[in-house]
Amino acid sequence: MIRRLSLASRLALLFAACTAVVSLLAGVLFNRASEAHFLELDQQLLDSKLMALRGALQGVDSPQAFAQHQAPLHAELSRQPDLTLRVTAAGQRWFDSTASLTLPESPGLHSLRQAGTDYRVLNAPLIAGQAGSPQLSLLLDITHHQHFLQRMQHLIWLTVGLSALATALLGAWAARSGLRPLRRMGEVAASVSANSLTQRLPQQHMPAELAELAQAFNAMLGRLDDAFQRLSAFSADIAHELRTPLSNLLTHTQVILTQPRPLEDYREALHSNLEELQWMAQLVNDMLYLAKADHGLLTPKREPLALADEVEALLEFFALLAEDANVRLVREGAAYTRGDRGMLRRALSNLLDNALRFTPAGGEVRVTMLEDAHGVRLAVENTGDGIPAQLLPRLFDRFYRADPARREGSSEHAGLGLAITQSIVRAHGGRIFCESAAGVTRFVIELPRVS
Amino acid sequence: MKLLIVEDQPKTGHYLRQGLAEAGFTTELAIDGTTGQHLALSGDYDLVILDVMLPDRDGWQILQAVRAAGLDVPVLFLTARDAVEDRVHGLELGADDYLVKPFAFSELLARVRSLLRRGSSAPQETALQLADLRLDLIRRRVERDGQRIDLTAKEFSLLELLLRRQGEVLPKSLIASQVWDMNFDSDTNIIEVAIRRLRLKVDDNFPNKLIHTVRGMGYVLEERSN
Repeated sequence: MIRRLSLASRLALLFAACTAVVSLLAGVLFNRASEAHFLELDQQLLDSKLMALRGALQGVDSPQAFAQHQAPLHAELSRQPDLTLRVTAAGQRWFDSTASLTLPESPGLHSLRQAGTDYRVLNAPLIAGQAGSPQLSLLLDITHHQHFLQRMQHLIWLTVGLSALATALLGAWAARSGLRPLRRMGEVAASVSANSLTQRLPQQHMPAELAELAQAFNAMLGRLDDAFQRLSAFSADIAHELRTPLSNLLTHTQVILTQPRPLEDYREALHSNLEELQWMAQLVNDMLYLAKADHGLLTPKREPLALADEVEALLEFFALLAEDANVRLVREGAAYTRGDRGMLRRALSNLLDNALRFTPAGGEVRVTMLEDAHGVRLAVENTGDGIPAQLLPRLFDRFYRADPARREGSSEHAGLGLAITQSIVRAHGGRIFCESAAGVTRFVIELPRVS
Repeated sequence: MKLLIVEDQPKTGHYLRQGLAEAGFTTELAIDGTTGQHLALSGDYDLVILDVMLPDRDGWQILQAVRAAGLDVPVLFLTARDAVEDRVHGLELGADDYLVKPFAFSELLARVRSLLRRGSSAPQETALQLADLRLDLIRRRVERDGQRIDLTAKEFSLLELLLRRQGEVLPKSLIASQVWDMNFDSDTNIIEVAIRRLRLKVDDNFPNKLIHTVRGMGYVLEERSN
């Protein structure tokens, strides 16, 4: 397995490859251009020499005539030491200063490399346009050109290499420094544990591309922190809630057993213990119910329900309590949905119980139902002092009691009722919220339309 | 009435046995699944109380064996697990009822009596009576010591329930379920209020009190000599 390359290395390699390709291309183009330029120069030079030689050897058509022109020919050639000449006619060499190299025979310009020397060869007839005219072969030694070109090529390769190396280093550095915020993010993530969910990334120092990620990361930490706080508060609350009845049970039982007593006292003690135990059993059952809801195990049945009938049954159930408290119970509207009768009755019962608890004598608890295209809206509202706005979001928290004066562990409420109601509503795919204003508190359940 | 209890936890088994024996039942306790199944298949029992979690074979296997043997003895499950699937599974296999731990003993007793009653088709009564209290089911009238007592519909249902199961301690949850069809544990004191109202009409003007509160357990209708 090849280890996956780091982002920085990948970027560095990519930069280097790009630079290398670009500089190589530039170099090759430059090399070609120089070569073409030299070729042109050589052509011009050889052309002008050809003209001069033709002038010098005018009218020569036999070896004898050529011999007479040897002197000006030599003079002409001595002026150009890198130029050599071969004159052939009908397979015979009249003149040759080329150290008997093998030359190409076709007319025109050729490049030739022999015995470590580079030449440019120009083949042309002595008298243009005349068949059987002696052939002139001009050789120009271009070794110095080739040297120059070779040096050029070396330089190009060096440039390619160096620039690739430089951009690789530069790219690696840029990537590294660019990725530093990510590393910082990694450090924060690595340091996150149940005990340190308070760390956050400094968003203002982030590059724009990463700011969004950092924001999402911070938001995630926030949510985790919040959920964890609630969870740990929940466990702490459980312990706290159970501690009071447990300590009652312990002390009461121990006190009763310290000395012999009349039978009636034992009975009384057991009864008292029974009440505490029942309260605890109820608490445990409620918590198990919530735990089930948390694990998505609360799967409501979907039976067709006429909510008006359900509400009516519940109001009948609560009628005695309301009568005792001198509170009017009112039902308004009707709605139909599909849901779990038992669960919804439980949810509504918690709301009604809650409403009755906080309605002053002479007040009213009103249940209104409404059905539209989106679903069902069911509201339980009661008159009374209302709930301060800042407490509204916490109402559905476990063990939360709006009235702090109520002693925990009292036989009444553990403060799980609204949390259970919320779980049930959520299991039905709905939502519940509370609004409180102008002496009216209203709990609203919204259930989506079920086909 | 003979009951079989299959329960591996000694403490639970012991108190179940004691409680049921004191309620007038003959009981036998099996503390493991093999013995439990063996006894259950003997067909000697009127009702089987079965714990789901047992060391060697679980309650479901026993139930399956019992039903496979063609016995239709009522079976009541005790389970510490409250998963819906468990419940459905048990009922599918032919259990008649279930109770989730922790449960109140009075609740268990009430369920046991309901199941036993289900088997025997009681003759259709036209009136229920205890001491000088008489409830006429046909004319829906209540009289005590010859005096007519006016009750609301729910009060009538409540009194009917108490009379039908006189001598039994009825837990509040059972009353809520039977009279109001509210099948959930509610910590409201509605049942207390309802009983208080019923007492006001049925008991308050008479020296011999019939409706009694059993603290922490529920209510019972019976004649107590004191």
